[in-house]
Amino acid sequence: MSELVILVVEDEPDVRAQIVRDLAVFRRGIRVDEAETVDDAEAAIAEVAAGGDILGLVVADHRLPGRTGVDLLVSLDHDPELRHVRRVLLTGQAGHQDTIRAINEARLDHYLAKPWDADELVTVSRSLLTDVVLDSDLDPLAYVQELDGPRLLEAYSQQGRTD
Amino acid sequence: MGVAVAVLWFVVVLAIGPQGDLTGPASRMLAIFGAAVVLWITEAIPLAATSIFVILAQIIMISDEAIVALPDDFEAPAYEDIFATLANPVLMLFLGGFVLASAATKYGLDRNLAGVMLRPFGTSPRSIVAGLMVITALLSMFVSNTATTAAMMAVVLPVAAGLPDGDRMRVALVLSIPVAANIGGIGTPVGSPPNAIVLGRLTERGEAIDFLRWMLMAVPVAVVVLAAAWVLLTRMYRSDTTHLELEVGGEFDRRPSAIVLYVVFALTVLGWVTEPVHGVPSAIVGFVPVVVLLATGVFTVDDLRRLNWHILWLVGGGIALGNGVADTGLDVWIIDRIDWSGMSVFAFAAVLALLSLVLSTVISNSATANLIAPIGIGIALSGVVDIEPLLTGLIIAITCSLAMALPVSTPPNAVAYASGHVATRDLAVVGIIIGVIGVVLTVAAAPPVWRALGLL
Repeated sequence: MSELVILVVEDEPDVRAQIVRDLAVFRRGIRVDEAETVDDAEAAIAEVAAGGDILGLVVADHRLPGRTGVDLLVSLDHDPELRHVRRVLLTGQAGHQDTIRAINEARLDHYLAKPWDADELVTVSRSLLTDVVLDSDLDPLAYVQELDGPRLLEAYSQQGRTD
Repeated sequence: MGVAVAVLWFVVVLAIGPQGDLTGPASRMLAIFGAAVVLWITEAIPLAATSIFVILAQIIMISDEAIVALPDDFEAPAYEDIFATLANPVLMLFLGGFVLASAATKYGLDRNLAGVMLRPFGTSPRSIVAGLMVITALLSMFVSNTATTAAMMAVVLPVAAGLPDGDRMRVALVLSIPVAANIGGIGTPVGSPPNAIVLGRLTERGEAIDFLRWMLMAVPVAVVVLAAAWVLLTRMYRSDTTHLELEVGGEFDRRPSAIVLYVVFALTVLGWVTEPVHGVPSAIVGFVPVVVLLATGVFTVDDLRRLNWHILWLVGGGIALGNGVADTGLDVWIIDRIDWSGMSVFAFAAVLALLSLVLSTVISNSATANLIAPIGIGIALSGVVDIEPLLTGLIIAITCSLAMALPVSTPPNAVAYASGHVATRDLAVVGIIIGVIGVVLTVAAAPPVWRALGLL
């Protein structure tokens, strides 16, 4: 079965490890991939697609070596294959202009300021991944335990399975 | 694979053609029937697609517009009548049920009613399970089993997750919902598609029964099975927890449109159960709320678009198949293949119940009813076994709904299984016991009571 992937893009190894630890609450059917730079991230995204998995969420820092996190998020919005991917900016250093650009051009789903609250990160991710499952043709029942169960069940009942 | 087998059957049967007492029309119907059996069992194409395939095949093969001419002595059904099965009165009754249920969900009526009804059951886990089962069963008598399960499971999941690790109460809580929804679906003609399929078949063969009579016969069965399931669940999964709090529902919606819905809902149900008094068929009564709710904007065109039309088609195809089997005399031909002389009524009822139970455990309940009802009720009508057609129909409908031993048996089971709180083993043990109770009740215990009360 194809997996739902969260991609964490962060250049500082300690910070990246902490984000990945926070997101480790998601288990069955959900995987966390890591990237250091935007180039890395693009390679990881290509790999997800090649493996038949579905990229659901990108959690990106803004200031990265080379292109910025906002650049990556904007490029996601320009790719028809990746428009469904939910975007979280997790940063302490994005300026006013960068933030405005992230909201307007990358249709940012959520902004988390460093230092972040682990529970908030998990709650936001759970809600956004639930949206992804509902927008895709993934089986909602497969994610009842990991994501927003009641919302997924609601969607399942709307699909009108035959008694 | 399923498609290949279906096509092969279709082609081979048509190539062989009429044989002995298998007439031309009956042999064509045999090709259609066999293909439908394969397609409904394998689900190689969507269930509703098989249904409309049946309708199309009957139109071009056995109707008055058949492409290859039929024998002159065969009274071919008009093709308009075959199309018209998609607007059969039973489907219109079901449509009424769909619209009411969908509007009730839209205005939160189901959840709020559940909240009000759950309050008297207190906070002890055993009585909470009882309360959940009663409410779920009541809702699923009018709302689809799957939608009821999803709504109630959304309430139960947070509570189940909050129980201490290893507390088996969790299994009882989570299992109680699909079990009760499946059982409750038996209760009324609109409770579940197999009921509509059986009712459609009985009506087409002049054995119609009204809404109230169905309820008088089926609700007591549901109550007994529900009580047995409660005892089973609360014995098997004992708990150390002594106190449970469930948050269900909230304030009733008091907007005018919600009030209209409450009144229309109550009046429709009242109209359905009082048919013996006023004599208006339930399909006509059920069509009134469709008109009223749409006209008042309580139910919008957008809501209408979201209804599960494919389920109506699934039922419609089943009714068409049954008509085709009867019109072409295929049922008589099949019945003649078997020597019925040694078959007692009891043995026939038992075989019918077990066949429905086993088939419906692995394939869709509705598909099972579509396949078994034409032949089962045909046998009862032909008189080779001295059993009432109505009893035959009820056995099929009830045992189809009580087949719930596997996660794939019904969508409500799939929902419970997906929660991660129940194992296949739990479903199997509880499901098999409930299935057996259902068979014993419908085959042995209930018929004498129904007869004594003059219902059969």
